[in-house]
Amino acid sequence: MFNIFKTTALTGALVLAAGAALAEYPEKPIEVIVGYSAGGGTDVMARTAALFIEKYLGEGASIVVKNMPGASGQIGVTEVAGSAPDGYTLGTFNLPGMMARTIDREAGYDRESFTYLANVVNDPNVIVTGKGSGLTTIDALIAAALEAPGAITVGMSSLGGDDHFALIKLQTLTGAEFTIVPFKGSAPARTALMGGHVAMGILNISEVASFTEELNVLGVATEERSRFAPDLPTFKEQGIELVNGSMRGFVAPAGLPGDVVAKLDAAFEQLSGDQDFLKAMADTANPVEIVRGDAFKALTSDLYDLAAKVWAETPWN
Amino acid sequence: MSQPRPRVLRPETLTAIGLIVIAAALLVPTFELRPISALLPAAMLIGLIALSVLLLLADQRRAAKGEKAAPVAQSPKRVIGAFGLVVAYAVACDLVGFYPSTALIIPTVAWLFGFRHPLGLLVATVTVVGAIWLIFDLGMNQEFPAGRFWS
Amino acid sequence: MYTDLLHALPNVFALANFAAVIIGVIAGIVVGAMPGLSATMAISVLVPFTFGLEPLVALGLMAGIYNGAMYGGAIPAVLLRIPGTPAAVATTFDGYPMAQKGQGGFALQVAVVSSSLGGIASAFALMLLAPPLSKVTLLFGPSEVFWVAVFGLCSIIFLLGGSVIKGLISACFGVFVSVVGSDPIYGNDRFTFSQLELLDGISIVILLVGLYALPPVIDLLEKPLKTGVDDNKLGTESLWKALPRMKGFWKTWLRGSLIGIWIGILPGAGGSMAAFMSYNEARRSSKTPDTWGEGEPEGVAAAEVANNADTASALIPALTLGIPGTAVAAVMLGGLLVHGLQPGPMLFRDNSDIVFGFMWQFLFGAILLVLLGGSLATNSFAKLLNLPRPLLGAIIIVLMVIGVYSIHGRMFDVYLMLGFGAVGWVMDKLKFPLPPVVLGLILGAFAEENLRLALRIGRGDWAVLFQNTTSLVLVALTVGVIVVPLVKSRLAKARQAEGQA
Repeated sequence: MFNIFKTTALTGALVLAAGAALAEYPEKPIEVIVGYSAGGGTDVMARTAALFIEKYLGEGASIVVKNMPGASGQIGVTEVAGSAPDGYTLGTFNLPGMMARTIDREAGYDRESFTYLANVVNDPNVIVTGKGSGLTTIDALIAAALEAPGAITVGMSSLGGDDHFALIKLQTLTGAEFTIVPFKGSAPARTALMGGHVAMGILNISEVASFTEELNVLGVATEERSRFAPDLPTFKEQGIELVNGSMRGFVAPAGLPGDVVAKLDAAFEQLSGDQDFLKAMADTANPVEIVRGDAFKALTSDLYDLAAKVWAETPWN
Repeated sequence: MSQPRPRVLRPETLTAIGLIVIAAALLVPTFELRPISALLPAAMLIGLIALSVLLLLADQRRAAKGEKAAPVAQSPKRVIGAFGLVVAYAVACDLVGFYPSTALIIPTVAWLFGFRHPLGLLVATVTVVGAIWLIFDLGMNQEFPAGRFWS
Repeated sequence: MYTDLLHALPNVFALANFAAVIIGVIAGIVVGAMPGLSATMAISVLVPFTFGLEPLVALGLMAGIYNGAMYGGAIPAVLLRIPGTPAAVATTFDGYPMAQKGQGGFALQVAVVSSSLGGIASAFALMLLAPPLSKVTLLFGPSEVFWVAVFGLCSIIFLLGGSVIKGLISACFGVFVSVVGSDPIYGNDRFTFSQLELLDGISIVILLVGLYALPPVIDLLEKPLKTGVDDNKLGTESLWKALPRMKGFWKTWLRGSLIGIWIGILPGAGGSMAAFMSYNEARRSSKTPDTWGEGEPEGVAAAEVANNADTASALIPALTLGIPGTAVAAVMLGGLLVHGLQPGPMLFRDNSDIVFGFMWQFLFGAILLVLLGGSLATNSFAKLLNLPRPLLGAIIIVLMVIGVYSIHGRMFDVYLMLGFGAVGWVMDKLKFPLPPVVLGLILGAFAEENLRLALRIGRGDWAVLFQNTTSLVLVALTVGVIVVPLVKSRLAKARQAEGQA
C-alpha cells in the first residue's frame, strides 16, 4: 500500500525521461563508502545527507554508510573507483585532497575514475591570528610578512591540503613569505594559535565559527559572504582576490548508467532547497554549497590543475 | 634435547642475529628520506643493531661458560600447531567468511587441544557465535568479512 | 556556569538517559574484560549506531562504556596477564602476581575501587575546572609537548625489567614501529612498503592485542591441561570486608588521580602513560619498593586509579579545544559531532544541558562502576576461567580477530596483529619486557612530531626547545624525577657493593 503510494508520488515528482528502468532503481540498499572514521566531518556530512537523499530517491530507498578509514580517505575512494558502476556503490569525495593525492603519491584512481554526482559542502578557508599577535587586519599581517620574510609562522592542518593551497595563493598574490607549520589536523593548529605558539593560522570557516572571541578572524576566502558566518568579511572586500576552500561531495564509479545518474541528480537538486537539510548541516559545521554533475567535474579538474601547478613549483614532500 | 646444540643455535643468539639482519635491511630505505625524516627511525635501527650485538656477545659469553640456554617452548609441536591454527582461522575469515570460520575454529581448537566433550563443544560454539551475531550484526549493524571466495 | 551544571541534573535522571549509563558501564566492563576488545573499538562501533539516538542516551552510553572499559581492562590483566585495554598494561605488573598468589579477588576489588575513585575525581575536574584547565592545555605548544613525551620516554628506564639490553631493544622496537606511516610533516611514506593500510601508522590496539593476548593464548594451548587456570582460588570476599585493607592507599589514590587528570588534559599521551607514571611514582615513594612487581596491591591501585582519572579529563581539551587527550576521547569527539555538538567555548553556552548532562553521566558512570563492577567481575568473569583451557583459548582467538577487525573494518589489521603475536611470543619466551614497546609506540612518533613542529616554528633552530618557562620546568622535572633517582640508586648499589667487599 505504502509503496504504491510512494511510487505514484515519485513518478509525479521525477523527470519522465527514463521510463521503466528508472522506476526500478534503487531496488536494494545503496552503499556509501566514507574514507574516514565514523564521527569525522565527512562521515557526519554523508550520514546527514544520506537521510535526505533516501527521502528524495523515494521508493523506500535505503542508504548504508560504510566507513573505510585510512590514508586520508584514499583507501575508501580507491575502493569506490574500483566498484561496479551500478549505482549501488557511491562514495564521498574530498577536494582538493583526493586530487592532490594523485599527484604527491601513487594513487589507484585518477580524475577519470568517477561519475561526479554532487559536491555538497564548501568550507571556505579563513585566515586567523592569535589575540596576542597584534595583527588584527590582513593588511597588517601582510605588511609584517613582507618586512621580515618567513618570520610569521602559519599553523595549518597538513601539507597538500586546501589550507596549504590557500597559503600558496596568498603568497603569490601578495609576494609575502611565511613559514609553514603543518600540524596533524586543524584542531591542534587552532589550539597552538590560541596558545600563541604560532602567529597565524589558515583554517576553515566551520572550524573557527565557535572561536571568534578567542581568535582574530581576518577574512574569509569566498566570493561573497558565507551564509555560515555572515558577520565575517571576505578577502575580496579587502582587496585580495583569495578564494579557496575544502569541499566534500559524492561520487560514483565512472560509467554510471544515465538513468541512475538522472535519478541521483534529481535527488541532489531537491537537497539544495531543503531547509531541514541546510539546518542539519549547519548544526554539524558543514556549510552547504551544492554543485552538481558536470560543474562538479569541472571544479575537480580546476583543483587538479591548481594542485599540479603548485606541485611543479613547490613540491611539498 | 640432550645432546649439546651448536652455539649459534641458542635462541637469544638467533634472535640477535635476526634482529641485526632485519634492522640492517630496514636501514636501507632510510637513505632515501630527508635527513630530518630519517633521524628517528635510523637512530632506532642503529640502536637495535648495537644492542643486538651486545646481546649476542653476552649470550655467547654465557655459552662459553657452559650455561645451557633455557628451552623456548615446552612442546614446540603444540606451539606451532596453535599458531598455525590461528593463522588458518584468519585466512579462512578472509576467504570464506567470519561466521563459518568461527563456527569451525572453536570446536576444532578445543578438540585438538584436549577438550573433547561433544555437548560442551556444541553449546560453547553456538553460544559464542550466537552472541557475536546478536550483538554485532543484529545490534550494531557491524559487518564482518563475508568471504572473498563467495564474491 | 555552576547553575547550568545543576540545571542539567534532572534530565540526567530521566529513565532512558540513566539506563543508558548503566548499560554503558556494564557493556564497558564486558568489552574491557574481553581480551582483544578495547574501549576504542567499542565506541567506534557505537558511534554510527548512536546517530538515531537522543543525545543524552548516546552520550550516556559512551560515558558508561569509557568508564566501564577502563576498569574492565583490569580483569583479564589480573587473571590472565592480558591487559584488556592499552591502559591496563601497568595493572598486570602486580595484579597478575596477586592472582597467582590466590589474591585475584582482592586485586579486582582494589582495581574496581581505585578505578571508581579515579573516575570520580576526573569527572569533578571536568565539571568544575574545565575552563581553567583548558588554559593550561594552551600553555603546551609543540616544544612543551615534546618535553612531556621525552619525560614519558625516559620513564621507560623503570620498566626495563631484568636485562637492560633487552629492555632497550624492546623500547627501540616500539619507537621504530611508531614511525611507520606517513611522515608527520611532509606526509611522505616511511616503511609502509606501498601499503595504504600502513599510511596512518600502526594502531596501538593492534600491537597490544598481538603482543599481549596471543602469547598467553598459545600458552593456554601449550600445556596439556584440561581444566581452567591451574589453581583457581580467587580469594573472594565481600567488598565491605576488603575495603579496610585499602585504607593505606589514599596517598596513592590522590597522587594517581592528579597524574591521571594531568596527563588527560595534555593532548595525545593517554591512559597508558598515566598508569605507568602513577605506578612509577607510587613505587618510588613506597617504603617497600622491592615488593613491587611481585603482587603489591598498591601497584594495582596506582595503575587503575590513574587510568580512570584520565577518562573525563581527556575530554577537557576535547570539548573546549577540539583536541582529544586520548584515542578513546578522539572517537567520542566524533560521537559528539554526530549530535551537533561542536567543540569550543560556545558548546558550554549553546548546548549547556547536554554538555553538563554528559559530565554528570561521567560522574554517575564512575560511581556505578563500584556497584556494578565489583560483583560482575568476581562473580561472572572470574568464573570464565573455569572454562576448559582449550575452549578459553579458542574463544579468545575469536575475540582478538573481532576486536582488531572492527577498528577499521579490514583484515589487513588482523594479519598485522598475528605478526606482532609471533614477535610477542618470542619476546615473551626470551624475557624481553613488553611495556617499553607499548610506551615506545605511544610516545615515539608523538615526540618526533612535536619536535619537528617545534623546529619548524623555530625555523630550524634547536634553541627553540629551551626558550620558555614551561619547557624548562619540564626539563627540570625530567632530570629531577628520572635522572636523579637513577644516579642515587646506582650510588647506593655501589656503596653496598663496597660495604660487602
